[in-house]
Amino acid sequence: MPLDPITHMALEVREVSVHFGGVRALDSVTFGVMGGTVTGLIGPNGAGKTTLFNVLSGLQTPDQGRVLLAGREITRKKPHQRAQLGLARTFQRLELFWSLSAGENVRVGAEAVVQWWHPSHIRQTLGRGTPVRPGGPGTPAHGSAGVAALLERVGLGGLDWEPVDGLPTGQARLVELARALAIGPQVLLLDEPGSGLDDSESAVLGDLLVELAGEGMAVLLVEHDMDLLMRVCSQIFVLDYGQLIAGGTPEEIRANPAVQAAYLGSAQ
Amino acid sequence: MHEFLQFTVIGIAIGAVYAVAASGLVVTYSTTGVFNFAHGAVAMVSAFSFSEMTVTHGLPVWLALVVVIGVEAPILGVLVQLLMRRLFGASVERSLMVTLGLLLILLGAADEIWGGQSSRQPGQLYSGATSYSVLGVHLTVANLLVMIVAAGVAIFLGFFLKRTRTGVAMRAVVDDPDLLAMAGASPARIATMGWIIGVVLAAVAGILIAPLQGGNLSQTTLTLFVVNAYAAAVFGRLRNLPVTFVAALGVGLGETYIGNYLQQYEPGFTQNWLSVPSQTLPIVFLLIALLILPQDRLRAVGRAVTTRIPKVASLGQSLVGGAAVVALALLASVALGTDWQGIVRQGLIFGIVALSLVLLTGYAGQVSLCQVTFAGVGAFAMGKVTGGGSWLGVLAAVGLSAGVGMLVAWPTTRLRGLYLALFTLAVAAFADAWFFTNTNYLFDYNHSSSLLIKRLGLFGISFEGNRAEMILLAVAFALASILVLALRRGVFGRRLVGLSDSPAACATVGLNVKATKLAVFGISAGLAGLAGALYGTNQGFVGALDFQFLISLNVLLMLVIWGARSTSGALVAGLCSAVLLQKGGNLSGIILGVGVLVIGWLPNGIIGTGWPMLRELVRDRSPGEAPAPEAELVEDAGHAA
Repeated sequence: MPLDPITHMALEVREVSVHFGGVRALDSVTFGVMGGTVTGLIGPNGAGKTTLFNVLSGLQTPDQGRVLLAGREITRKKPHQRAQLGLARTFQRLELFWSLSAGENVRVGAEAVVQWWHPSHIRQTLGRGTPVRPGGPGTPAHGSAGVAALLERVGLGGLDWEPVDGLPTGQARLVELARALAIGPQVLLLDEPGSGLDDSESAVLGDLLVELAGEGMAVLLVEHDMDLLMRVCSQIFVLDYGQLIAGGTPEEIRANPAVQAAYLGSAQ
Repeated sequence: MHEFLQFTVIGIAIGAVYAVAASGLVVTYSTTGVFNFAHGAVAMVSAFSFSEMTVTHGLPVWLALVVVIGVEAPILGVLVQLLMRRLFGASVERSLMVTLGLLLILLGAADEIWGGQSSRQPGQLYSGATSYSVLGVHLTVANLLVMIVAAGVAIFLGFFLKRTRTGVAMRAVVDDPDLLAMAGASPARIATMGWIIGVVLAAVAGILIAPLQGGNLSQTTLTLFVVNAYAAAVFGRLRNLPVTFVAALGVGLGETYIGNYLQQYEPGFTQNWLSVPSQTLPIVFLLIALLILPQDRLRAVGRAVTTRIPKVASLGQSLVGGAAVVALALLASVALGTDWQGIVRQGLIFGIVALSLVLLTGYAGQVSLCQVTFAGVGAFAMGKVTGGGSWLGVLAAVGLSAGVGMLVAWPTTRLRGLYLALFTLAVAAFADAWFFTNTNYLFDYNHSSSLLIKRLGLFGISFEGNRAEMILLAVAFALASILVLALRRGVFGRRLVGLSDSPAACATVGLNVKATKLAVFGISAGLAGLAGALYGTNQGFVGALDFQFLISLNVLLMLVIWGARSTSGALVAGLCSAVLLQKGGNLSGIILGVGVLVIGWLPNGIIGTGWPMLRELVRDRSPGEAPAPEAELVEDAGHAA
């Protein structure tokens, strides 16, 4: 069931802290992502973005704090349980099933959540179901046709049987995105999906993210491509040394002196 | 109290040897990232060499020590490093296979040089009075010597690793060899040093343990004594030397106290349930050490070195392949002599064990060193249910071994790679030392050290004759391989490959990693159990020696050579294992070990690599034939291939 994009906080992070020995990777981080929006998360290297993604997806247990998915506490849930509740992610360093083809990668995602005995799955497998655009919130990819349609949607049409270990990085990132979308997530965490993409691929990615948000999905986007961020995000949060130092619209973030000092300033 | 003190002295002495051996393991692992499964075999070869020089050839002890510890061990260390060099950055599984191969080579070489399982007298390190009495406690020179040596090793390692430039570099090399190289150190030289120290410490431990083992040296005991060292090293998480030392002393004391207590006060229990406590208890310690390891957190691994899985055969292709296996078996039952027919029958059974490993190790990336143990459980069930002969027995065999497989997998779902391999090794060793040898209660009806299992019959068809049995085994192999390939083509197969490539990605798309691991262990162990049941029917009886750890190792390494992701590889591996076991003699270990070292670096093995190349070659030579896209990387098209 898609969330109400206007009123629903799809993902909430409350007072989350993580320490690695004496290093404070995340220090009492609190923010939220609304359904139906693309939210950016930026910060210099080592700011704690990937650690935060690991906490959100369940790969890292926080020392303190809570994570809520659509108002439901998921802090102690295992990664696969979070995915089944509608939280998907991609990785900064590609985490593909390298021995499989692009389509098989997506299929593993779809099959993990699609219940084969469900009437809608049976109808679609028999080719009689109402065509749905797979990958949107609550619409996982059903069967081979669903997987093919999803690959088409991310711009990889016809690459169903292409082994992923031979794909260029940009396309491999899109396979990872398609695999995440295959579960029909309510919340999508993307860790630098634009790296390795050329300008036109990046533009297609931006359009897709806006489209997904339009369908009600909450997208949290870690990205270094500032043009992409400024174009698609309605809100951006900034992490520095594990602390959330700013949050606001792209314009506000661009004008924020603390952000310029910590991140944008050093990049210019 | 006096008794307690006496046992304490003995326990500390034994623990001190374990400490020396375990610290060698830790130094090698922490500098090279390779866990040396051949550590015990190195200790054994060194102890045998020392004995050869001092006892057989009468060399002075000091000279023998110089030769073994100062020359032979360092040379062996350098040779091992040369072998391991190309493994740098390879997966844990690959480096594991190579050290297991080395273990077989050393065992085979010792067999060849010193002959079979024969025991030898150790060389005496000392002369004169053999014991002193302190407060009524006997302290032998051997005990005193090992304590002094262990303390010396501890002090030397502490100083060397913390205070010297090379030592600090050794601690840094595994974290980031490139960074170390930029700082001016040579990672290869550091790794060589790690291997030399590891091998020398194994040699010292081997020479020291011999007099404590009751004055006898036996290859198996010496090779497996290192299980104690494994336990200590695992307590120290393979990195922490002080914890490893303390744990080693604890293991030595625990083994001595519990073993002697049980033998003295519970002789009935010991006799019936723990035939040799000194062999059973260390394995229990290793199991405990592995069980209390903290959960291995799922983490992103990035792009591991993977290779494309050969294209999986379709249902039609696998049916044709299965039929070809049955046809060839029929031919073999006519054309071959009795001796070779027996080997082919055993080969088909090992082939089913190898198939179970294709599923578990080839597809899912989970290493198991106890697959033949599961087969033994199957044979046990088969024998206990109506003494074989009945198909109910086959069902019981598959069911019980699948259950045991899942039980073994339950704690191991927390573990990966090396620790999983160690756990399954411990399970196999435990079954060898406790389950299969327990003829009083477990493994035998009539206390005759073997369990009788009759041949099967179905709908009036008897498989009493060897030809019928051969066909039955071929059909069983064909059905098992059709099942494995069908699983691979479906949802479950994709999940297994996903599990092998990236457990973290599996979990984040909603896949229950633990349930998937349990399922694959269960199915795989069930298949191995089927093989065990058939092994029993084929042979007519099973005994303690039929399901030993070394046979698991044999089948696994043979599968790696021929192709761990291929059902045809499983067939050839099974047949070759049977040929080696029956005909290879002392050389079988050496042949297999060398095979792994030479061919083991091909990720898809001989068949998985050679078959596509052959297809390519044939395609190039056929003029005017357009290459079919699906022909790329086809293998498994028929088992006959």
